[in-house]
Amino acid sequence: MAGTSENAVGHGAESRRGFLKILTVATGAVGAAAIAWPFIDALGPDADGTAAAHLIVNIAGIPENTAITVTWDGLPVYIRKLTAQQTADTQAVVTSTLVDPADFTDRVKPGYESFVVVVGLNTGAPCALEGNAPADPRGPFDGWLSPCDGSVYDPLGRVRGGPATKNLAIPRFKFINDAQIQFG
Amino acid sequence: MSTDVKKSWLASRLPCPAKESGHCAPTMERGRRYGATLPTLISATVLFLLASGLVQAVYYNPAHGFDSIQFILRDVNSGWLIHAFHVTGATMLFAAVYALLFRDIYRRAYKAPGELVWLLRVKLYALLLLVGWLGYALSDGAVSYWSLTGAANAATGLSGVAGAVGRWFFGGPNGAGTVARLEVFHAVLALTVLVTLGAQRCAARALARQAPAPKNPVSCHPYYTAQTFAALSVFALIFAVLVFFAPHFGLNHLNTAASDTLVVPAVLSPPWYLSPVSAVAGVFATAGGGIFGVVAMLAVLAALPWLDRSGTSNKRGKLYRLLIGLLLLDVIGLGWSVSDPACTAAGSLTLVFTIWYFFHFLVLTPLVTALEAE
Repeated sequence: MAGTSENAVGHGAESRRGFLKILTVATGAVGAAAIAWPFIDALGPDADGTAAAHLIVNIAGIPENTAITVTWDGLPVYIRKLTAQQTADTQAVVTSTLVDPADFTDRVKPGYESFVVVVGLNTGAPCALEGNAPADPRGPFDGWLSPCDGSVYDPLGRVRGGPATKNLAIPRFKFINDAQIQFG
Repeated sequence: MSTDVKKSWLASRLPCPAKESGHCAPTMERGRRYGATLPTLISATVLFLLASGLVQAVYYNPAHGFDSIQFILRDVNSGWLIHAFHVTGATMLFAAVYALLFRDIYRRAYKAPGELVWLLRVKLYALLLLVGWLGYALSDGAVSYWSLTGAANAATGLSGVAGAVGRWFFGGPNGAGTVARLEVFHAVLALTVLVTLGAQRCAARALARQAPAPKNPVSCHPYYTAQTFAALSVFALIFAVLVFFAPHFGLNHLNTAASDTLVVPAVLSPPWYLSPVSAVAGVFATAGGGIFGVVAMLAVLAALPWLDRSGTSNKRGKLYRLLIGLLLLDVIGLGWSVSDPACTAAGSLTLVFTIWYFFHFLVLTPLVTALEAE
């Protein structure tokens, strides 16, 4: 019987040691993670950087037939308010005839169809496009014109002629309300 | 692919020498003191300082040193914590190094065959003083600015080779590019601290291999790994208390203001860990004298294995122990005497403490060790 009792004690001590070991290692792991976290956190973007990555732009003041330029993610972004005529014209185009086919609905947000938001860089030879102000040269489709290689875009930013073969890129953005859009 | 095949694939292409067993020998003497974990704590703290220093180096701008630290403190995520880690880590590192040096002196661990380990530890201390001062200069505060300007003017004003080295180091008097180069020196010298630690570890291992076989052997793992972790936990606890409750511990509070080229603060005391050395340097009237003072201070420390005249005798006399206690008070007094300029006796006390320091090493140590060895 004495042997049985010793075994029982030994077993108990062994499991207690195992439990303490797990407890110690677990506590140590939590401590190590808590120490490591500030180092990882410190290399992430700060509040200024996060705010710049989620830029909010007021679009209420943009006159019809005019675009403004904002810088977001280091890119010139054009925000243009279409006229009723431009909306009608671009909707009437047969999409399949385009170089880079895209519908009217692909290029604008539902409910805010009068605003076009594109990255204002030519998709051929990369340079900033002309045509934001009504007086600028805009090419035959009343959109944008590349001063570098002569590529032509319509008011939705779809390529309509020239060496370029891709439509203008659309940045990530959403409408907060009628007057504000937020990028990122 | 089985693990064995993987191992031989890697081992055949990346042959590494067999793992050293000298440091963590299978059997070690029972009853090792907690003080023996100090070198491990120092290595861990240096690695921790390297990590927090590298993160700050991402944001630090030498052209606007003070402002960029404010940016780290206010704008960078957890930046205040990383900065407090670095500042308090320096305090903990120096505390451990001072403790290690005094422990070695008290135990006479510097005696042959341990003199190389001792020399490497003095070298570590000397390097850390330089790295610590460079970090202090990088803080670009109201006090450290004058420490940097004073040092740069003194060094560039020296004649001959010393002046050439000084001009090379500081790039002329404290100017546009000075802090930028000090940032690089701070980082590069911090890496040489790692090299010195590695060399010291190798020498200590070699020493452990020479030691006679233990009489009451215990296995290194888990007994001494557990001891190391226990020591590390207490060390980390003290560190955490300082980080969160006394982040400016031992630092001159006036240095939290921005530097001003036309305003010299009333109290120009350096961080506590530099103050004993700063006190000895300040005793001498000239820049050359100050450099001589610091070099002499470190040189007598390095010469300790040869200043100890006890030979092979291992007797530890009471008088020598008393002198070590006095030396400890003397070094604390040196640091204190430059931190409180309002005390009118501070200047003469610094002189007395400096004289006692050199008297202890150059006269008392040879005398008392030779007497007590008989």
